[in-house]
Amino acid sequence: MRNLLNFLARYNNLIIFLILEGIAFYLLTSGNRYQNSRVVNGVRGMTHGIEVKINNTRSYLSLREINEKLAAENVSLKNSIGKLVKHDNLLFFSVEDSAYKQQYLHASAEVIENSINKQKNFFTINKGDSQGIKVDMAIVSGNSIAGVVVGCSKNYSVAMSLLNLDFKLSARIKSNGYFGSLSWDGRDYRYAVLSEIPQHVLVNVGDTIETTGYSAIFPEGEIVGTVSDYEKFGGDFYKITILLMTDFKKLHFVDVIGNLKKTEQLELEKVFK
Amino acid sequence: MINSILRFGLIFILLILLQVLLFNNIQFSGYINPYVYVMFILLLPIEIPSWLLLLLSFTTGLIVDFFSGSPGMHTSATVLAGFVRPYILRIVSPRDGYEPGSDPSMLIYGFRWFATYTLLIVLIHHTALFYLEVFRFADFFRTMLRVILSTVFSMMFILLIEFYRRGK
Repeated sequence: MRNLLNFLARYNNLIIFLILEGIAFYLLTSGNRYQNSRVVNGVRGMTHGIEVKINNTRSYLSLREINEKLAAENVSLKNSIGKLVKHDNLLFFSVEDSAYKQQYLHASAEVIENSINKQKNFFTINKGDSQGIKVDMAIVSGNSIAGVVVGCSKNYSVAMSLLNLDFKLSARIKSNGYFGSLSWDGRDYRYAVLSEIPQHVLVNVGDTIETTGYSAIFPEGEIVGTVSDYEKFGGDFYKITILLMTDFKKLHFVDVIGNLKKTEQLELEKVFK
Repeated sequence: MINSILRFGLIFILLILLQVLLFNNIQFSGYINPYVYVMFILLLPIEIPSWLLLLLSFTTGLIVDFFSGSPGMHTSATVLAGFVRPYILRIVSPRDGYEPGSDPSMLIYGFRWFATYTLLIVLIHHTALFYLEVFRFADFFRTMLRVILSTVFSMMFILLIEFYRRGK
């Protein structure tokens, strides 16, 4: 017993150190990314007051640019309404079911906290459960992808940014339809990597890369970016560097997209997997 | 005693605010992320009991973690920095030892001493921090580059702050 006490007295610093490191490591590794982001979420409730202030300043400074973007978006929306109205006249459908062709719900939100300089970047948006935001909804900025919601509190949601080593997305080359897996390699916030494209496929610098919609999170055809460089990687595949269309450094107004038929798709797929 | 608690409390709050409001928002590039809050660990009195140093490191890291949304990362790096500080102090100790009851400041021990001391602790802290952040050994050298560049910048800011403190 005395030996034990002597031991404790002698190494008390080491013991305190190990205990505290243990707690820190527990925090660091506890649970998977979803639970982890929940912790972040709960904690952000405490700090968001300050973040909101920082964000207000930032949004005031970029008003001009945002106005231009909104104007451009309005034009394109008006154009697509025009197309839709014409379409409806041509179509044949049962009147009782007005939601039959709506698959995606859109909601706009504002990014109030964002980072690009970590390896696992998350951002926070100012809408949450009460506004109908749910986990696994897609986030796009304009019509280029930005991230996926991973946790919601009442009025805020945390999203995993595309700039996160854990982010995986199914994407394809628009011109020929070959799809691969898109991820971020942690180097530069402007570039991501598309892999698993076989080498017999024709790839050109400048080709558009878009989402496939296979994951049931992102709608089909959302733009990811353009090919900026490609090289042969291993025996069979290309490693394609993609210039991202979204500028994560000034991510501000975003759209959250929910897939109304996601459950249906996933359940059907589950049967065959 | 009360006086020095107040003083270090003030330094603590200022450094945390500086880190959270300013440096966390500077997104210069993926390679340079200065973390100046480590300076709080640097500035604590030389004769502070180790357990208190460790607890203060833990608290500092935890608060920075709260604000940067990365539970545990800063905490473990800062606790490590707090743990090695006494050993570093022993390694860099001036020829005639430390003056009793003094703070590790540039004013008392000179620029070269302070710079070496800062470099060692900041380097250890940043190494732990950046490798914990990627949490893998792929891209080992790229992470090392991030560590080195960020250490240079953190040191620069810490030395600037220390110069300013001396000026007052």
